[in-house]
Amino acid sequence: MRKITLFIQCLVDTVWPHVGEAMVRVLEGLGLELDCPTDQTCCGQPAFNSGFRHEARTAARRFIEIFENAGTIVSPSGSCVHMVRHHYPELFKGDPLWRSRAERIAARTYEFTEFLVDVRKVEDVGACYPGTVTYHDSCHLLRGIRVSEQPRRLLRKVAGLTLVEMKNSDYCCGFGGAFAVKYPDISAAMVNDKVDHVINSGADTVVGCDTGCLLNIAGAVSRRGLTIKAMHIAEVLAHRR
Amino acid sequence: MTTPDQIEFVRRIRSALGHAPDIPRGVGHLFAAGPSTEDVRLLEAVRRRTAAERQALLEGLAAAARPINLNVTALPDSAYATTAIVRLVAAKTPEWGDAKQIAAWRHPLIDRLSLPEALDRLHVPVHVTAPIPTEADPGFDRIERERQRAGIIASFVGVTSADFCLADTATLVMRNRPGQPRSVALVPSIHIAVIHLDQILTDMKELFALLRWDEHCRPEGLSNYMSFISGPSKTADIEATMVHGAHGPREVHLFVITG
Amino acid sequence: MSGISTENYIEEAKRGISNPVLQRALAGLQDRFGRGTAEAYRRLPEGPDLRLKAHEIRETAIANLDVLLEILADKIRSNGGNVYFAETAQAAVDYCLAVARRNNVRRVVKGKSMVTEEISLNPALEAAGIEVVETDLGEYIVQLAAETPSHIIAPAVHKNRHEIADLFVRKLGIRRTTDPPELTQAARKALREKFLAADMGTSGVNMACAETGHITTVSNEGNIRMATTMPRVHVAFMGMERIVARLDEYEIILRLLCRGAAAQTMGTYASYIGGPRHVGESDGPDEFHLVIIDNGRSRILADPQFREMLYCIRCAACLNVCPVYAKIGGHAYGFAYSGPVGAVVTPLLTGINRAKDLFRGETLCGACMDACSMNIDLPRMLLALREKLAYGDPQWQVEPASRSEGLAYRGWSWFIRSRRAYELGLKLAAAGQRLLPRKNGMLRRLPPPLNGWTRSRDLHPLADETFIARWRRTRKS
Repeated sequence: MRKITLFIQCLVDTVWPHVGEAMVRVLEGLGLELDCPTDQTCCGQPAFNSGFRHEARTAARRFIEIFENAGTIVSPSGSCVHMVRHHYPELFKGDPLWRSRAERIAARTYEFTEFLVDVRKVEDVGACYPGTVTYHDSCHLLRGIRVSEQPRRLLRKVAGLTLVEMKNSDYCCGFGGAFAVKYPDISAAMVNDKVDHVINSGADTVVGCDTGCLLNIAGAVSRRGLTIKAMHIAEVLAHRR
Repeated sequence: MTTPDQIEFVRRIRSALGHAPDIPRGVGHLFAAGPSTEDVRLLEAVRRRTAAERQALLEGLAAAARPINLNVTALPDSAYATTAIVRLVAAKTPEWGDAKQIAAWRHPLIDRLSLPEALDRLHVPVHVTAPIPTEADPGFDRIERERQRAGIIASFVGVTSADFCLADTATLVMRNRPGQPRSVALVPSIHIAVIHLDQILTDMKELFALLRWDEHCRPEGLSNYMSFISGPSKTADIEATMVHGAHGPREVHLFVITG
Repeated sequence: MSGISTENYIEEAKRGISNPVLQRALAGLQDRFGRGTAEAYRRLPEGPDLRLKAHEIRETAIANLDVLLEILADKIRSNGGNVYFAETAQAAVDYCLAVARRNNVRRVVKGKSMVTEEISLNPALEAAGIEVVETDLGEYIVQLAAETPSHIIAPAVHKNRHEIADLFVRKLGIRRTTDPPELTQAARKALREKFLAADMGTSGVNMACAETGHITTVSNEGNIRMATTMPRVHVAFMGMERIVARLDEYEIILRLLCRGAAAQTMGTYASYIGGPRHVGESDGPDEFHLVIIDNGRSRILADPQFREMLYCIRCAACLNVCPVYAKIGGHAYGFAYSGPVGAVVTPLLTGINRAKDLFRGETLCGACMDACSMNIDLPRMLLALREKLAYGDPQWQVEPASRSEGLAYRGWSWFIRSRRAYELGLKLAAAGQRLLPRKNGMLRRLPPPLNGWTRSRDLHPLADETFIARWRRTRKS
């Protein structure tokens, strides 16, 4: 396989780079060669979700320019991959040239667990993580990209890990980007329900594939003084004895 | 025949859809000139139904009836149905007041039950809802309708037949006709329906294929009022707790004559 | 239209969130109906993809709405019924009042109809001295309590049995009981008298079928049948979009409606009404009136972005999966339509600026679209509404909601084009971050406009070194 190009996501890049590091360890552990365009910044999702399409298009064009010559693109964020796959072609609906450029990139962009299981056909990456883990289904990964089995399959192959399902794992955690800031009461109610479900599942760790969700959940856990860990699946998969 | 409000309204819709507002559009592409291949298959399936298939439908009906509290009993002939109805009328107590009276359709299947004679022994009057003559003068018509209405309201059991019964959802299908008022299956607390095994269809698809394309069913179509009734009335509006018996009948008993 | 309080979204949402009775009821509702509907779709012989077929059926119907409505009107009139095309809410209400007056109507019984909420029918009838009684048990409860419904299918979901018991003691004079069957029996008795004494019954229309010229009503309680059979006049109110062309298409819609609304394979009662009673028939209304209502729908129809919203059959499946609705309840949406459907329809009917919280105050999680019996792309339309709010829109009379937010995103779009500028911005943010209070390494308070986050959550701070900076440092030589 050619080089894998990393689409690192702004949140991972700026807040949780250790998730990126973990993803690199897992991919290199599988013998893959990696590249990471150092000009990348943001896919444009924040502007897009707030209705600012012109500004989102600006970000999209920059993204397309940066990643155009890449082969396979892998990202640790389901929502960003959804943005590129579903919304980029739509953003350039009236511009056939940019639209086809967007479609070409969309066809090569994968979410991390989707890439491992569906493309690389790997479920056991040789990881070890002792703990009881429950998995949170991020909305855009679940309903946009239709990925829900793949992360679970990967987690089940992690040595020492017990996977338990929580109630309403498929319910939104209340992040929603700007929503969490603009409608804080509703967002807080949703994330606190999510944390309650994690607690009731008996898990000590909640794992997800989207850093936005995880920062939201981790923030609530911290404020409530709980010891539950909120981790990106890349961290679990990179964990060794 | 159209009205000014209609003209304006439809013009606005045509404009909204990007069409010339004053030019009526064709309908041909929306409706079928004849039955589709699927419709033909459904009609054939009904026409060629074997005894074994009918039996299977009856079993399916019984299974679908259970969760919706519909009581289904198969009986060999009308006499058994009469006995069963008499037994029910004797055993059940009226919900409103003490006097027992029942209402029944004028319908060949129901007429054959001879309910007035059978219930005479129990001193339970049977109010048969005879069709009102169409030539009747308006005064007579009104008085007769009020009389029948009062009779139905005073009845604690209503006995009807049905046009069809859909096995997959245990649904009685009743078209409206003189002598077969819809309120008999609605106002009394207990609804008893008597049908024949041949009237059981698989599902709505078969029903609608028949109503649209079958030479016998098509002329009447749906009639001006068609009811689907699937079991007794129910509600879950109080704390999502299912309660059987809301505004319609609290009990529904279906007798299927197999002979 | 009166009774619009979409501006109170945030406040009402807070009230809903802090109401333990409501929270328990909504969680139970979603457990039961949200999950139940998904299972019901799976069990369809055609599987959940039947929703896609239904979508096409509705798309075709809406694209031919002019044709279908004229056919329906023609058939109903030929059958002895009356049809009135109401451009506005007021026109619909005035027509109904005129019918009531002509027929000396003093008492009306109503089957549940959201469109009659939308046009504020009840206050108008009451102002004319007419007694109006809601007969759907949930609506009846809500009416006795002088409240508004909080769910399209389960209007009294926000009330528990104790509240209902108190209400019935006060209003019906019954002996106190909290047993649902006994409470239901009390309502059954009270409403039976109303049904039998009423002069006029009203209903909504779940779906009309042009081919046969019938409108249909679906219920479990039998109240719609009672209200449309026993009184001498029946007025049915229909949103103009609620029609399909053919009976075989209608069959698909009905199956999905029952599953979407209550996870059922069939509602207890479905009535197909083509007109008033015929000569020789002993029951049924003397007069039948169908009021077809526009009230802003033609404007939605004219916009290709929002036309899809007219495919909705008001089954409420979206309410039963929406995580936001589950927390805030129906009253926060401030109008007849709550949940995801309300988040799109209400701004389009009452004003996009006015109802902006409805479509901004959710997370685009997409659960609604998956649950929608007609596979309507609600998230797409929520985004489209947000776009209108971001830039303004003369066609829909929208003012941009926040010039400062627009400026911020314009600035942001400049920053993200250049990695250098971006990293400069991050350095500034990191510097500012040092001033913010921390605990155990987590930020405790953010400055406005981000302070909403830290009201109830901590936040991981920006990392000391970005992933990209580290990559540059360690990999590029």
